[in-house]
Amino acid sequence: MKELIRKLTSISSPSGREEQVRAVIKEEIASSVDEIYEDKLGNLIAVKHGGKTKVLLAAHMDEIGIIVTDIDEQGFLRFGNVGGINPQRLVGQRARFTNGTIGVFGVEKLEENEKLTLSKLYLDIGARSAEEARQKVMVGSVATYYHEFCDLGDRIVAKALDDRIGCAILIEALKRVTKPQNDLYCTFTVQEEVGLRGARTAAFGIEPDYGIAIDVTGTGDTPEAERLAIKLGHGAAIKVKDNSLITHPKVKDLLTGLAVKNKIPYQFEVLPFGGTDSGAIHLTKEGVPSGVISIPCRYLHTPSEMVDMNDVEAAVRLAVAVMETKLD
Amino acid sequence: MNLETLLTELSNAAGISGREDRAAQIITDLFTQGEGVQWITDFSRDRLGNIILRKQGQGPHPPRLMLAAHLDEIGLIVSEIDQGFLRFSTVGGIDQRVLLGQEVIVHGRENLPGIIGAKPPHLQEPEEKNKAVKLQDLMIDLGLPEEKVRALVQIGDPVTFRRDCCALKNGLYTGKAMDDRAGVVAMVDCLRRLKDLHHQAEVAAVVTVQEELGVRGAFVSSYGLNPDLGIALDVTHGEMPGLTEYEAFKLGKGPVIVTGPQVHPQIFKTLKEAAEAANIKYQVEAEVTPRGTDAYALQIARAGVATGLVSIPLRYMHTAVETVSLKDLTETSRLLAEFIMRIDRAFVEGLKCY
Repeated sequence: MKELIRKLTSISSPSGREEQVRAVIKEEIASSVDEIYEDKLGNLIAVKHGGKTKVLLAAHMDEIGIIVTDIDEQGFLRFGNVGGINPQRLVGQRARFTNGTIGVFGVEKLEENEKLTLSKLYLDIGARSAEEARQKVMVGSVATYYHEFCDLGDRIVAKALDDRIGCAILIEALKRVTKPQNDLYCTFTVQEEVGLRGARTAAFGIEPDYGIAIDVTGTGDTPEAERLAIKLGHGAAIKVKDNSLITHPKVKDLLTGLAVKNKIPYQFEVLPFGGTDSGAIHLTKEGVPSGVISIPCRYLHTPSEMVDMNDVEAAVRLAVAVMETKLD
Repeated sequence: MNLETLLTELSNAAGISGREDRAAQIITDLFTQGEGVQWITDFSRDRLGNIILRKQGQGPHPPRLMLAAHLDEIGLIVSEIDQGFLRFSTVGGIDQRVLLGQEVIVHGRENLPGIIGAKPPHLQEPEEKNKAVKLQDLMIDLGLPEEKVRALVQIGDPVTFRRDCCALKNGLYTGKAMDDRAGVVAMVDCLRRLKDLHHQAEVAAVVTVQEELGVRGAFVSSYGLNPDLGIALDVTHGEMPGLTEYEAFKLGKGPVIVTGPQVHPQIFKTLKEAAEAANIKYQVEAEVTPRGTDAYALQIARAGVATGLVSIPLRYMHTAVETVSLKDLTETSRLLAEFIMRIDRAFVEGLKCY
């Protein structure tokens, strides 16, 4: 599974430009599903039949990134954010465009470091002039962090684990499931990082009876961290609340019951910020009872997000358990 | 049905956003076993828990009117068990300055009384004395040893204020969840009034969930009902020293009819006409927080719904001492009934003529 995660996190596919990661996922799951299609916004929807109840399982394919807004005469690029990018985190980092072009982030001379904003940063792709830069990129070109996957043993580090780890879990669950008891709509969504956009239209089209997102959550287990009762390595997290969703009591009970029954380590999550695809899914049409299987992840939205493979395994088992439980 | 009793029971009932069960039970009992059975033709709940109370209209093509008042209240949620004390996060826009010293109920495996304590003034550092305590430094004390707490409470359990509704002088009532149980009571009372009236419109009165988290219940119920027009019933700020006349309204001086971009001009006009014809005193508010009520979700449901908003003045919003006038509730219910009597197919056709 680590090899799959390495492969998925090595791709640069920011929100709106998910084609490269989509192609890889499609190839991975083609032989494990009954039907596979893309909707108009680019969501990849893989269907596995098994019962009357429609369950939408969603993991988002996109990652945060930047978008070029201007190329100056010396060939330096100015850019805006695609999703939640913190300017403090960019200094000294490298970016890779979807066409493979590499750049490094530079910063203007600052009076006060605290006041760093995106407008004080630029991207240097090694071009000597605007003309040279334009041969590689243009206004509107998008890039992501450029950082290598690292295997630290039980724990792994990579960019874009948010939410390629969710994609990997859903792929693995699809491969492992032997007796699906529901019609599974495993959806690899687009544009989550810019406002849950793909999940919104996918759910409208699918009209599911239940929605389960698989996504990362923060932890409170690092030095002087914000208080949060989530720890790396303590199991899959069952979300109770974040800013986009209060988990439907039925779904919370379902996930908790399955974790207990199958002896899957779990922890409850009350996140005072953030949102996931389930935020959009549960408000679709007449309402869809929804929940989230979360994977504890340190250093969210940095180039070095960290998860524990034991939590990943717990999440896979929980997802498979949902797939193999007959829901009304 | 005694309005005062219903308001008291509802205000005391626990029901934070997403966990409205206990408050919902009161409404369910009233309309499935109680007096309310005769006021409606159909009772149902949708998948997110919205309660839909329907009464048929007269005539061949009755227009469908959706009323919406939200059942959920703001509250707290357990986020961590820390050496037997409970850390918590908020559900909805709680004013954290009012949390210190509150009595609460933690809805764990059983209902547990608790308190939000504070460091005694004697032991505070000089720099602490003039500062509000931050949410992350507050804790709930159940008086139980840690192992007992862990056996009874889980992360994610809801917490409500423990605060009995109380009658002040002059017909004012104060409680923890008048926002928007007061609106629910007015809507229920309107259904009671409609019992003996022959109205053209089909009325779908929706007791909505999860309003305080972004009008979520109203989004799905208005999609499901696909109404021709809608009225949201909520609360607005009541007058008190320190607030200006245009941002606060008088308690006991009648419902507040709201205008603004999300209110259809014909509905605004007809609400005022209905009030004037029936000698109902009313106040007018220009909307400044367009996403703050169920009217927001109603207006943009499906291909769009002509929407109105009627508010009940309420003092001390989002504290445990929300205060309303019972008279405003009955006048609001009267206004709604009068408005509904004016709705027919021709009125709905006219909504398209600007």
